[in-house]
Amino acid sequence: MSAKRENAQGSLAGLRVLDLTRVWAGPLATRIYGDYGANIIKISDPRVPLINPNGLNSKLNRNKKNIGLRLDKTNGRNIFLELTSVSDIIIENFRPRVMRNLNITYETLARINPHIIMCSMPGFGLEGPYSEYPAFGTTAEALAGIPSLIGYDSSLPISTGVAYGDPVSGLNAVGILLTALRHRNITGTGQFIDIALAASPACNLGEFFAANSSNGYKPTINGNKSEHYSPHGAYKTRGEDQWISISITNGKSWKAFTEIIDNTILNAEDYCVFENRKQDEKLIDAHISDWFASKDAEEVMFQLQNRGISAGVVSNNRQLLSDPHLNERDFFVDMNEPLFGVKRYDGQSIRGNFKNKSDWETAEDVGESSKEILMELLGYTSDDCETLEKEGTVLFR
Amino acid sequence: MDKSRQSLPLAGLKVIEVAQGVAGPHCGRILAAMGADVVKIEPPSGDWSRSIGPFLGEDENIESSATYQYNNSGKKSVLLDLSVPKGISTFTVLVSEADILIEDWDMSSRALNGIEKDRFTKLNSSLIEISLTPFGLSGPYSHFTSTPIIQLALGGYLYLTGLPGKEPLMLPGHQPDYLTGLNGNGAVQIALWERDQTGAGQFVEIAMMETLATLHQFTMEMETYEGFIRNRNGNLWQKESAFANYGITTIECVDGHICFGISTEDQWERLCMMIGKGEFLEDPQYATRSGRRSLATYLDSLLSEWVGERTRHEVMVEASEMWGLPTAPVLGISEVLEDAQFLHRGLFTEINHPISGKAHFPTFPFKTVDMIPDLSRAPLLGEHTSEVIHS
Repeated sequence: MSAKRENAQGSLAGLRVLDLTRVWAGPLATRIYGDYGANIIKISDPRVPLINPNGLNSKLNRNKKNIGLRLDKTNGRNIFLELTSVSDIIIENFRPRVMRNLNITYETLARINPHIIMCSMPGFGLEGPYSEYPAFGTTAEALAGIPSLIGYDSSLPISTGVAYGDPVSGLNAVGILLTALRHRNITGTGQFIDIALAASPACNLGEFFAANSSNGYKPTINGNKSEHYSPHGAYKTRGEDQWISISITNGKSWKAFTEIIDNTILNAEDYCVFENRKQDEKLIDAHISDWFASKDAEEVMFQLQNRGISAGVVSNNRQLLSDPHLNERDFFVDMNEPLFGVKRYDGQSIRGNFKNKSDWETAEDVGESSKEILMELLGYTSDDCETLEKEGTVLFR
Repeated sequence: MDKSRQSLPLAGLKVIEVAQGVAGPHCGRILAAMGADVVKIEPPSGDWSRSIGPFLGEDENIESSATYQYNNSGKKSVLLDLSVPKGISTFTVLVSEADILIEDWDMSSRALNGIEKDRFTKLNSSLIEISLTPFGLSGPYSHFTSTPIIQLALGGYLYLTGLPGKEPLMLPGHQPDYLTGLNGNGAVQIALWERDQTGAGQFVEIAMMETLATLHQFTMEMETYEGFIRNRNGNLWQKESAFANYGITTIECVDGHICFGISTEDQWERLCMMIGKGEFLEDPQYATRSGRRSLATYLDSLLSEWVGERTRHEVMVEASEMWGLPTAPVLGISEVLEDAQFLHRGLFTEINHPISGKAHFPTFPFKTVDMIPDLSRAPLLGEHTSEVIHS
């Protein structure tokens, strides 16, 4: 890709974000800002290492500076308030009581910096009957109705394998915080934003709620079967747990499909009509399952797509990493991790003026930039740093 | 324009949305709710999402699609046939005066209509053009056709959901589109931030497949760091790998299912205490996360016993309030609409439509007192054609 980079530092260069987030939703949001050149200061508890040999935090915390800081100590709190005075955004995803116990509230911070945008990402929101309850991406999606719509039949709801509350909330945060910055630039004042992990997936099901409230619409739970397309689903192909997904969207693609698989029963003229295919879906599925069983998923995907038929390999992690399309588009990034060697990660899906990939920095462990942040940004001396280290307020690595 | 709309942060921005379906329109919906003036360009037959179910009210017609109404709230609809010269010249005038263009022209439709990539950004140097397509504008899949299940498959989501060994299951509705629409809104805001400093617009390409590929917690790392295929495991987590764990599971109650999301060591300890099995904390079988995971069937049966004849709500209240454990009922669609937490938050709003009547739509997952999103009904097909074209 020869995307033009007019701004090698990234579109968000100059923006400063204090990142108190953990796990996934929050770090995902600040990772996008970091890829785009924002100055991310990640604040971590010195008692808990960040970089583990499972890769999760290395993947999510690239392009972020780390300070190891005890917010429950007086000097630690003061440093946090000083950082607040020079930042644009503060983002956290603790349970509500954690920030309350630390006495870090938007009101306190806004007195120090009225321009600050603060975002909390609790499980259920900061108010309401469940506000104090803990949550997880998988429980969040359950409350939003997602697993009730997934299953082989209606007897057992099945959770997504992706803890869906988190990624949806992360993406919501990216947009709304920048909108709040625009609001700040117009009005001169910051604001507080509460994003509920459980509310985000619900907003990706708008048509289901609208239809249910209007006329009682309830979808049938039946695997991958569709109300619009048939055949529709994943079919086993050659190899261990290898599958291809197909979606026959109209009579024309059905005709092309039958020409490829050349089966006299499926060639029936009647089957060019959706309703007829839908009626005989089981029979048709049995025939095409047989046909796919001996095929190579990737080969047959290209064969079908070349005839205009919607088909795609059901990629596992290994296939995703070696996917020809993603690789040709230079989607991945290889980063040389100090502890683990060269590791391949997903790159940036928003293909605008993000920071040149060759300038991306690996995730820092707790305290790697403590000195730089205290001395260069806040004007502390080496003696100050030594005192802070001795009293256990700041970790320097 | 009323006063409250004028005080929204995107007021004054002109958006032309020619994208159809869900991804682009969902992005445009957010911009409209935050004050932008969004003009939706529709072909004579209407955005294709007008023709898909589910429908609202009693009749199935091009004004009553739930998907269309949800994603096109607060926009103006302008009918333009871009396949004829007059249509494209009117469109060009609109884009030359716009701040943002949201389009979904993949390589096939660009070739068909002769739209080269830099056509509009060249014409209007401050234009932010957001391109939202399934596979992007280059690479071996760029001519592919797809529906959500294909996008989920190639983006690595499909493989991970469902029972081990059985057919992988899709997420409901149009999830790749929604995620890409949200990513599109992020892209708009990033590009606006840059334009506010430099005055320059830009072309930003987003592919659904890449959007999904960046929204995995540790899928690829399970391979690159540990060498494991990440499997689908029903409602449990994987046995192998550093992410093995017990406590993310779904249990039947008298009135449905409840989901547990126990993930940390202290939560595991409290889970043992809750089910009256404090002795597990001394038992070497349960010392490791993978050890616990391999006993998941037994642990599920103990948890089931503890749940007993209680309702989902009773279990959630006790597990959350007394034991600090993450749980939530698996709610059906009509239950979500009536959930006490969501009601308290005002997650849904009723919008009336002249053809299909009243329906409840989600607002937004964020809440702030300083920017109240403005949500109004979706436009009728071509409702604003004369207003926009002749003004």
